[in-house]
Amino acid sequence: MNCVSKKYVSLMNKVLDQEATEQEKQVLFEHLATCAECRVHFNELKESTELLRRLTHPQLPAAFTESVLNQLPPDKRNAIHKWGSRHPVLTTVAICALPMSLVVIGSRRQTRNRNGYALVKVSGDQT
Amino acid sequence: MDQSEKRLIKKIRKGDQQAFAELVERYKNSVFAICLRMVGNAQEAEDLSQEAFIRAYNRIDQYDHDRKFSTWLFRIATNLSIDFLRRRKNNVSLDAVVPGTEGLSLNTMLPDEGEQPEDQMVRKETEEMVQEQIKRLPDKYRSAIVLKYIEDLSLKEISEIMEIPVGTVKTRIHRGREMLRKNMITEGGGRA
Ligand SMILES: [Zn+2]
Repeated sequence: MNCVSKKYVSLMNKVLDQEATEQEKQVLFEHLATCAECRVHFNELKESTELLRRLTHPQLPAAFTESVLNQLPPDKRNAIHKWGSRHPVLTTVAICALPMSLVVIGSRRQTRNRNGYALVKVSGDQT
Repeated sequence: MDQSEKRLIKKIRKGDQQAFAELVERYKNSVFAICLRMVGNAQEAEDLSQEAFIRAYNRIDQYDHDRKFSTWLFRIATNLSIDFLRRRKNNVSLDAVVPGTEGLSLNTMLPDEGEQPEDQMVRKETEEMVQEQIKRLPDKYRSAIVLKYIEDLSLKEISEIMEIPVGTVKTRIHRGREMLRKNMITEGGGRA
């Protein structure tokens, strides 16, 4: 490789990057017309990238998106966070109310426990 | 970035997974193409693509909406692929079991309508040769070359994805291109 000098290689790169001016293009192509060595070099560069461009773009299986969704963390945390930031007072009330309602539910359950028949009936409805 | 995408991302930040599904549909094949050409194996590339989307979802708060969403997403995909290649490099036995182009089977390669079997075979061989050449590029040249010639991105977009100056992107593409040229003429078609 004698002629493939820095000057022409850098022009080739500019042309391939589509950043060459009309004048630069002209300088390169005039040289390529007379220099076989540079012509071969330039064509080889173009051909190799052309091969890359022509690679197939395979498609993913149709189930791909669903499979991604299935692996996302459940969005409950986000839902509570979102709701909470919009209604801070309500959230506080809700958090305070939670143990209270547990007490209420607990005492109800106890009431039902005394009445065995009702408890069976309730759990039967739930399943 | 287009408005519909901005709206989608707002919804995703609030935990709307259906909105996220729309983005996955929009970008899944680009992400897959990047991963596939980076690692050269369809199954690994599919796993990496999944990982990229899951990571994007989990880190959506870190996404800066002044940038293109695809820039951010492609950065995640490229980084995951490079990490994968480094892990694989450190695991020689695995590399021996999983040759570069295995997994590029017919179910992932869409044959052209009406293409003759011989043409298909020639194309498959060419693709394998090209993939092998990509695989031989050093990581940093490979990312630049894949983003440029597989995704057809501008030098500016590549510089944003790789978080390096445009000048550095150019250098990497020039060197990568020159390496491909040399390797292809010595091993590809025997034209030298
Ligand atoms: Zn010359």
